[in-house]
Amino acid sequence: MGLNDLLNLFVAAILLAGIYTAMSIGMTVIYGVMKMVNLAHAGFMMLGAYFALEVSQRLPIDPLVASVLAVPVFFLLGIATHRSMVRFVPVSDEPTLPSLLLLFGLWLVLQNVGYSVWGADDRSIFSALTMATFQFEGIVVPVIRLVVFGIAVLSLVALHLSLHHTWFGRSVRALTQNREAGQLAGIDTGRTAMLTFGLGIAFTGLAGALLANLYSFTPDFGGSFMLRSFVITVLGGLESFSGVAIGAVIVALIETFSILVVPASYQHAISFILLVVVLLVLPGGIEGLLQRWRRLR
Amino acid sequence: MSGAPASRTTSRTAYAIAALVLLALLAAPRVGISNNAIRLLLTTFLWVTTSLAWNLLGGVTGQVSFGFAVFYGLGAYTAGLSINGGVNPYAAIAAGGAVAAFGSLLIGIPTFRLRGPYFAIASIGVNEAVRIVMSNLEITGGASGLRLLQTGLFSQAEHYYAALGSAALAFLVSWRVMRSPFGLALRAIREDQDAAADVGVHPYRCKLAVHALAACLTGIAGGVFVYYSAYIHPDGVFAFATSTSILLMPVIGGLGTLAGPIVGAAVYSIVQEEMVVNFPQFHLLLYGALLILIMLFEPGGLAGLWRRLARGLRGRNAGGPGEGIAARQQPAGGGS
Repeated sequence: MGLNDLLNLFVAAILLAGIYTAMSIGMTVIYGVMKMVNLAHAGFMMLGAYFALEVSQRLPIDPLVASVLAVPVFFLLGIATHRSMVRFVPVSDEPTLPSLLLLFGLWLVLQNVGYSVWGADDRSIFSALTMATFQFEGIVVPVIRLVVFGIAVLSLVALHLSLHHTWFGRSVRALTQNREAGQLAGIDTGRTAMLTFGLGIAFTGLAGALLANLYSFTPDFGGSFMLRSFVITVLGGLESFSGVAIGAVIVALIETFSILVVPASYQHAISFILLVVVLLVLPGGIEGLLQRWRRLR
Repeated sequence: MSGAPASRTTSRTAYAIAALVLLALLAAPRVGISNNAIRLLLTTFLWVTTSLAWNLLGGVTGQVSFGFAVFYGLGAYTAGLSINGGVNPYAAIAAGGAVAAFGSLLIGIPTFRLRGPYFAIASIGVNEAVRIVMSNLEITGGASGLRLLQTGLFSQAEHYYAALGSAALAFLVSWRVMRSPFGLALRAIREDQDAAADVGVHPYRCKLAVHALAACLTGIAGGVFVYYSAYIHPDGVFAFATSTSILLMPVIGGLGTLAGPIVGAAVYSIVQEEMVVNFPQFHLLLYGALLILIMLFEPGGLAGLWRRLARGLRGRNAGGPGEGIAARQQPAGGGS
């Protein structure tokens, strides 16, 4: 195990962290504004993956371009979901029982619609870039991962700009910080919630489509990624947008380097065990840790 | 106490009906009902047990768990391994309940201290982690499952009574809890945890206790299941679908009520029987759609629907105050 191998793993982990951040941010914005855990996350990721597959197969469009097209489509899908279902369940400072069960039911429906439409076979997306690699000082980087990383980072920059430079973004941040104060200041919570849900689902669909360029998928796709998103959001402190990025880096590093020590059959359990460990020792996430540290000084 | 019947006559009728139902169920294996019907009743009893157990935590206390298969599986594996080790089957089933209750503390202690969605999220993660670990563990037979070493003759009636016993236990426990000050504390936590804490309820301890109680009952159901089926494997008892089923039943029937989860379990067992035969692909789709529809239109489940119908039939003059706390199951209603 040379230094070069470690460096290779490190680069792979950072590239993975980019897409993990895009994947988890959708869950974070929805939780921040609506205090709902999007349990249908996995279902929308799966739809995103099949969206990229279908569009790139039926139209002369590159799968990566199809992934970007998922953003507007899933934004509208998110808004439709909010208008038709999500807005009817009560909200509170904590996720309410109806919201959890509604979104959980939606996940079951999406997953099984997926099974009846596309069957249970493993599918994957091949493009000209799939097998291409790129070498730099002995570090081998698959081009597709680099492009996916780039798209994910660009989408996050766009999100950052819209959160900090538009009225919608200001209302999102205000409601995340203090719902009641935001309402008192005259924020239209219904409209903000609708747009936020659309935004969250747009990121979820994009992440699903991008991941479909890297991994094979079935209608069950997304379940394990949803749990990773949970770990990342919890690590990030649930409501912090920058915390998500830190959480994603940590999860990606642990996952990538655990290949060296954890037997293959337990690989899938890593994120779940990590979730329990984080809840035990670091319930406030990184953000909570930083706050405690600041208070101590 | 809000759960108590309104008058003595209704209470007496309720006891009489309960006694008659119990007698009929006790007599069922003796009066020549087909083995298949007995089997269906047996599975229904097991689901009644888990449904009532989930209801104590989810319905009465308002804490949603997506991981009750963990306790079902822990109970089943503990009982199975103990029976294979030569322990009396009923002691083994009780041990299954105890191990499940212990397991519940491992999930509850880190998550119930926190406000927010941590418990619900952790329950999904624990479910998957436990399933994967059990699939790879040597002593439990790993993914190929655990087979019970058969010693005596197979007696369906014995298993039937064991399942009936577990359902009766779950019923008695739920009934006692819902009428006790402890049950009132649990309801208070569901409605407003801060207000409950202000009047002297300890939310953390109460949640841990009711979680352990529910896990114990679920573990017992798992133990009875392994004793009956003689074969279990991680993708069966620890499956996420099992957790889904366990939470679906009380939701269908009516959260926070005593009759709701029983009706829900009965409906589920019959529907499941038909679905698996006719549409094996679609049962999860149906359950998901059902969850969405119930949450949107009647969060009180069948019990809520029944209350609404009864109120409609009695007309306006008998409307009066809602019947018990269960009538206000969802704090903010469904229409906001």
